[in-house]
Amino acid sequence: MALMAAVAALPDDVARVALELPLRANLSALDNIALIPLYQRHYDTAESIRQAQAMLEQLGYAGIALLRDPDMTPAERFVTQLARALILRRPRLVIDRPGAMLYDEFYPALIRQLAARADMTGTWEIYDFNWNQVLYKQALDSE
Amino acid sequence: MNFLAASIESLGAKVVGWFTVGYAMFAFLAKAGLLLLDPTTWNRATFDVVVKQIYFTAVQILHVFLGYALVISWLIITIILSTARDFGLTAFASEMTIRVLVLELLPFLTALFVALRSGSAINTEVALMQVNNELDALAHCKVPPMQFEFLPRLIGGVFSVVFLAGLAGLLALLMGYLAIYGISTAGFEPYTQTIAKIFDFTILAGLIVKCALFGLAVTLIPVTAGLETPKKLFMVPVSVLRGMMRVFFAIVTIEVVSLALKYV
Repeated sequence: MALMAAVAALPDDVARVALELPLRANLSALDNIALIPLYQRHYDTAESIRQAQAMLEQLGYAGIALLRDPDMTPAERFVTQLARALILRRPRLVIDRPGAMLYDEFYPALIRQLAARADMTGTWEIYDFNWNQVLYKQALDSE
Repeated sequence: MNFLAASIESLGAKVVGWFTVGYAMFAFLAKAGLLLLDPTTWNRATFDVVVKQIYFTAVQILHVFLGYALVISWLIITIILSTARDFGLTAFASEMTIRVLVLELLPFLTALFVALRSGSAINTEVALMQVNNELDALAHCKVPPMQFEFLPRLIGGVFSVVFLAGLAGLLALLMGYLAIYGISTAGFEPYTQTIAKIFDFTILAGLIVKCALFGLAVTLIPVTAGLETPKKLFMVPVSVLRGMMRVFFAIVTIEVVSLALKYV
């Protein structure tokens, strides 16, 4: 319950990656990410698409650009949501209960790997249940 | 006594429900109208989505729609002509054809066509977006759903019904001429005179307003019905059912009011 309350209390300037904030199902990964530069920074379509593609390439998932949500694996869907959150360029990024999205992955390692590739300013925070702490410890130990 | 009280309560709840739905619809329309007048709405992104929406609603179905309009027009014209001949009213056949087909039947059928094809899809999509939290996700990313999702659909719906009804009307006029006069040019003058006599400014403006209202009904009602959907997946079919029933009643009401204003 404390975790839920902490998530609910997050301010507006936090970019969240969460199960409750899904992708637009009928748009491709690229279009989902390109919406942000298109509507927030008023770039034209070509430039917004270019920025979205660059973000996916940076995360090492350029190949999923044309996939729609139902055709993605949990990891691909998570990466698209993460790219959408990163392109928001907010000072804090919160990954909210990653286990709910990455149910078939050893997610602490995947997130660590993505964070290393992302090379972004700002802080990344993971909100997860206490009983999952051991997973993060395992990921650190395995390095 | 209990039965009476329960009936009054049930009726009252229904009336309150209708007012709530009506209020939500008009509030949404007012918001959309205000946003339309706001110059910042008209950025490149919104314009692109509007163009895409018009393509999906009007252009993509053009060949099917024109085929359907052709068959319906040919049948109705044939029925009117043979009936007019039987009753010795051939002189009025062209006027009757134009009034029945171009002013009434084709706009009504166009609205039904767009409602069944696009209205139901819009209702389902908005309901699913509501249930799956996609609208919340857009709000989190500060992408305005009204500009990105809803306004383009309203504009697309209005444009499509006006455009398709206009095109079907022109096709019916051509078919009417061919059915009455054949491929000779002899009937061109009386036929165009009949058209000019019928289509005075009031009738033409009324036809455009009616088609625009049809277009609004087949998009606005499904969008608001979709937004009303509780966040439960099993409520999506109920939302579509309610939305499409409302669309049907709205289309019939617009047609009845338009007929009453013209002929009563």
